[in-house]
Amino acid sequence: MRYGLLVKGAPYSSQAAHSALRFASALLARGHRLERVFFYHDGVFNAARLAAPPQDEPHLYDAWCALNAKHGTQLQVCIAAALRRGMLDAREADRHGKSGHCVEPPFELTGLGQLIDLGQEVDRLVTFAP
Amino acid sequence: MILHILNRPPSTSLVYREALAAMGSTDRLLLIEDGVLGALTSQVRHFQQVGDRLFALREDLVARGLDGQCDASVQVVDVDGFVTLTEEADKTVSWF
Repeated sequence: MRYGLLVKGAPYSSQAAHSALRFASALLARGHRLERVFFYHDGVFNAARLAAPPQDEPHLYDAWCALNAKHGTQLQVCIAAALRRGMLDAREADRHGKSGHCVEPPFELTGLGQLIDLGQEVDRLVTFAP
Repeated sequence: MILHILNRPPSTSLVYREALAAMGSTDRLLLIEDGVLGALTSQVRHFQQVGDRLFALREDLVARGLDGQCDASVQVVDVDGFVTLTEEADKTVSWF
């Protein structure tokens, strides 16, 4: 089956990202495909490239990136939710006259329409919220 | 059949009432995260109408030191079982 995940919880604030990653590993191990993870609301903070948690704790940012590298899972971030929280990629930082950026590939800023598409595209869409 | 996923216990949130009101007669309810507290004997009465369609996630019970303390009416599943429940359902709805 083809799966999509919607993550609405910020990393290390709630269990949402941990639950989503655990569910992702399990579904992939069962031979399903994880097409895309969509980050919305405070979930956009999962895309912060400068995340540097203590070494003996789960590195959520790296875990998301590994999903993309190993399984081709797209990591899409709602652009409206991201920009108002200061989560800009290089292009948006330039456009808004900001120095530095904190979103970069494999994460991509995208419109909310992509979430609607995801819901229609996949067999199962599972939401993990705070 | 819809799989409803609830991550809040009845002791701290009333969202479970909305979940129960939305559930069809064959729908299933999976308790995850802090929601697993609802599977304890002291709280499980709130889910009486769900009958044998009530599940709780083992990993979240273990993380809270509650493994083995679930009410007998609750089916405990691990994360593989969680995936299976989503396979068997037509869709999922998360309540939070």
